[in-house]
Amino acid sequence: MLKNYFKIAIAVLKRRKFFTFISLFGISFTLTILIVLTSFLDHLLSPQYPDTKRNQSLYISTMIRTHSTRQSFSNGPMSIHFLNKYVYTMKTPAKVGIASIFTATNTYVNNKKLNIDVKYTNAEFWEVNEFRFLEGRPYTAQEITNGDHVAVISERTRQDYFGDASAVGKYIETDNERYRVTGVVKSVPITLLFCYGDMYLPYTLSKSNRNNTDLGGEYFAVLQGRSAADLPKMAAEYQQVIARYPLNSDEFDKIHSFADTYLASFTRTMMGTDEKSGTARFMLGLSLVVLFILLLPTLNLININISRIMERSSEIGVRKAFGASSRTLVYQFIIENIILTLIGGLLGLAFSATIIAILNHSQVLPSMYLTINFTVLLWTLAACLLLGLFSGVYPAWRMSRLQVVTALKAS
Amino acid sequence: MIHLQNIEKVYRTSSVETLALNNVNLTVRKGEFVSIMGPSGCGKSTLLNIMGLLDVPSKGEVRIDNEATVNLSDKQMAHFRNKKLGFIFQSYHLINDLKVLDNVELPLLYRNSNAKERTRLAKAALEKVGLSNRMKHFPNQLSGGQKQRVAIARAIVGEPEIILADEPTGNLDSAMGNEIMDILLELNSIDKTTIVMVTHDEQMARKTHRLVRLFDGSQVS
Amino acid sequence: MLKHLFKLIWNKKKQNFVLMLEILVSFLVIFAVFTMVVYYYKNYRKPLNLQYERVWAIHFEIPSRPPNRDSLLLFYENLRNQIKSMPEIEAVSITSSNVPFSMSTMQNNFNYDGKGITLNDYICEGEHARVLGAKMAAGRWFSKEDNASKYRPVVINEELKKRWFGNGDAIGKILNKESDHPYKVVGVVTDMKTKGDYQLVEPELYRRADTADYYWLSNALVRVKPTADVAFESRLYKSLPNFINHGTLEIEHLTDKLVSRNSMTLVPMIILMIVAGFFVVNVALGLFGVLWYNINRRRGEIGLRRAVGATGQSVSRQLVSEALVLATMALIVGCFFAVQFPLMNVFDMPASVYLIAIGLSVIFIYLLVAACSFYPGKQAATIYPAVALHEE
Repeated sequence: MLKNYFKIAIAVLKRRKFFTFISLFGISFTLTILIVLTSFLDHLLSPQYPDTKRNQSLYISTMIRTHSTRQSFSNGPMSIHFLNKYVYTMKTPAKVGIASIFTATNTYVNNKKLNIDVKYTNAEFWEVNEFRFLEGRPYTAQEITNGDHVAVISERTRQDYFGDASAVGKYIETDNERYRVTGVVKSVPITLLFCYGDMYLPYTLSKSNRNNTDLGGEYFAVLQGRSAADLPKMAAEYQQVIARYPLNSDEFDKIHSFADTYLASFTRTMMGTDEKSGTARFMLGLSLVVLFILLLPTLNLININISRIMERSSEIGVRKAFGASSRTLVYQFIIENIILTLIGGLLGLAFSATIIAILNHSQVLPSMYLTINFTVLLWTLAACLLLGLFSGVYPAWRMSRLQVVTALKAS
Repeated sequence: MIHLQNIEKVYRTSSVETLALNNVNLTVRKGEFVSIMGPSGCGKSTLLNIMGLLDVPSKGEVRIDNEATVNLSDKQMAHFRNKKLGFIFQSYHLINDLKVLDNVELPLLYRNSNAKERTRLAKAALEKVGLSNRMKHFPNQLSGGQKQRVAIARAIVGEPEIILADEPTGNLDSAMGNEIMDILLELNSIDKTTIVMVTHDEQMARKTHRLVRLFDGSQVS
Repeated sequence: MLKHLFKLIWNKKKQNFVLMLEILVSFLVIFAVFTMVVYYYKNYRKPLNLQYERVWAIHFEIPSRPPNRDSLLLFYENLRNQIKSMPEIEAVSITSSNVPFSMSTMQNNFNYDGKGITLNDYICEGEHARVLGAKMAAGRWFSKEDNASKYRPVVINEELKKRWFGNGDAIGKILNKESDHPYKVVGVVTDMKTKGDYQLVEPELYRRADTADYYWLSNALVRVKPTADVAFESRLYKSLPNFINHGTLEIEHLTDKLVSRNSMTLVPMIILMIVAGFFVVNVALGLFGVLWYNINRRRGEIGLRRAVGATGQSVSRQLVSEALVLATMALIVGCFFAVQFPLMNVFDMPASVYLIAIGLSVIFIYLLVAACSFYPGKQAATIYPAVALHEE
């Protein structure tokens, strides 16, 4: 039966080339938009180089401090003092990576200005993330304690500063300080805020807030468990840490801070409230956007489909006259429509592969490489089926109500 | 009134040439009721279409009211049809999305007339065919005979001098057919409208003034 | 005739419903795009009034500042002198972090005579106007001569003056009279688009930095001479650490900051326009296809109209008008939704922007629909009545 449907579908599509073209144009472009969007979200949210162990990690990115009666409010990353003393010493995580938000600095080489974004880290940062070292090694805990002027730089920085030459052991200057390069890693795009930097330095070299014993600062932490099963334990222990913290301040009397999964830490900074991570709101917003993108093309497809059905009313009349039930006809039409959207989906994949290749090649965001992977494919398939169903049901219902006689007469 | 001279109509497709009408000469006088008969495919409808300026002959001359129609522009022909001709078809050709009254008003829409006047005329025409009580119905709520009566009302609403009817009773049973035929005869005798009717039905044809027979595109009597 | 068309469409409302819905949604999408375009274009047409080409923004993180007042002022005096000692520098102003075209904003509420306005608050120095090439509309920029004054001097922009004083005079007026720190307006500066080419001019107030501010100010704007090049920038960069206790330094050019600030507006806009453009093409093709198909379906009707005396032209005109009437019905509903935006003042945009956008969108939809029905209409005009009537 399915094979039969398929044959008819192809025949119908071939017969009315103009309508087929319009339908496929709409479907493939709609799906192209969705695929590129999905690919970008996948890039933002899925584990990838160098942050490959997201599934067994929790992220502490901000801390909100409030006061119940005064209007005071503070939201931001934490101090290295707090993270070292209270978070690094936590029992459940296997490793705790600590790093700062990047700071922009300048350096001038060969009459050229370079912008170098500096990130200060602890030693376990290099264990939590699986950076690929093109040469050299990360700096050690000992070097950090000593306050040695050592640095790990990105491939892009090496290219800009040293040209094609090897960099390990050489000195690089930025922000008017000289650092010895211990290693070079493959570059990370700015979309991965926890890992991005042009240059990584021991946190002991940070110039600002060196003696800051307050809570607020510019660091965040990544708690890595032995497996995904450790996540609830780690989250719970962090809440104990927060509850235990002696908040001796007139300004604030409550701390809200959470060890979140990657997605939650991402949505919390965008649309979170005190207690809620904002993941639900993010998903709702995202669904609305997707539905909106689908709305017009769906209406358009419905229109075209109604036209196509009316045009085929004699075929429908004949089928009904010879015993096809309305239900069979509805199934037939919906399957036909889904076949059409799947063909559109294939075209959409081809288009989006092209667009993604162009985006990757042009390096709109340096070092960002979008891909069409299995997850993206799965979502694309889901979108295809959704579109096919949405745009097929109403016309099919209209079709099933056609009277045999009128249908035959209309020919 | 209608004067056809040496009419020839050839349909050409890429491979075949069909002669639909061959040297037809026909004059219809004012006030006459002429019927055209012949087997299927003999060219009756083609002849009627040519008379109604819906189609142009491949050869020959069509004069209506002593006016040559060869060189009329599309606009002039449309005007001509609108003023002088009324059509009735076997399958009614009512616009299903318009109510009966709106259907009847249709020819007047292509004239300069105001809405009130149009409604008045259309109502009058419907009264003539005895359908005043169906004005607000849609065509698909009517029986075949009623539909054809609406079509007649539409044909006469513009008070044309000529009515061209293409098998007006072809889709109807004999009782309804006779009803329609009576209306046409009345139009002819009272309003002095010239009528040309294509029909299959010998009985109907006998009620008219004159009978023209066509066979394979040629006039046989 | 128009009434006739309305009847025709009204009686077919079920068939036309989806088509109308599609036109309605297209209208709303186009309306959104036009609203943005009109809004940004209106802003874009206003002059920038800011000579940013040779202005650099220096950001410095000072690890520790002198704790007492006099040494703090001396510290900044030394920093300022160091910068000014370089021959390529024309003017310097130490400022708050909301330098032109940056993403940082600082908002505060000030009041005059009980009327409070939330405004963009800038803290800067006497040479600020020279650095930015700001033009005074009235009065003067604050300077050392204000040291003796009882009130702290401020300069406001024309937009803020308009809101507070209308056409009246602003100079000499006292702000925040009842508070511990009243301010006196000493000048009105012409509106500068400090948030980039496409942003609205907002009420702005420039305060002269006082001692308390120097405990946290960590930005400076400098105007450089045309001769200033990378080599000079490098010298400037290397000369500063000694004067900021070896803190972190970053130098940015306002030209670059303007480009990235503008692209914050343009990039989403361009993406939106590409997507909307695709929607429009999609809808146009669909409309065209449906209208074209409808003509084939209505061959009988068209033939009949021809038979009762419609010219080819009037048939094609009828089909185009029918499509336009259909669009009108959708647009009436669409406009009803669209006027809610100015009525309910959503998004805080001037009503004129919405009204112009509604006008443009209506014209756009009409043109689109007319264009899509033109060719099908032409096709319909060529239908031969005899053939069309015979087919059925």
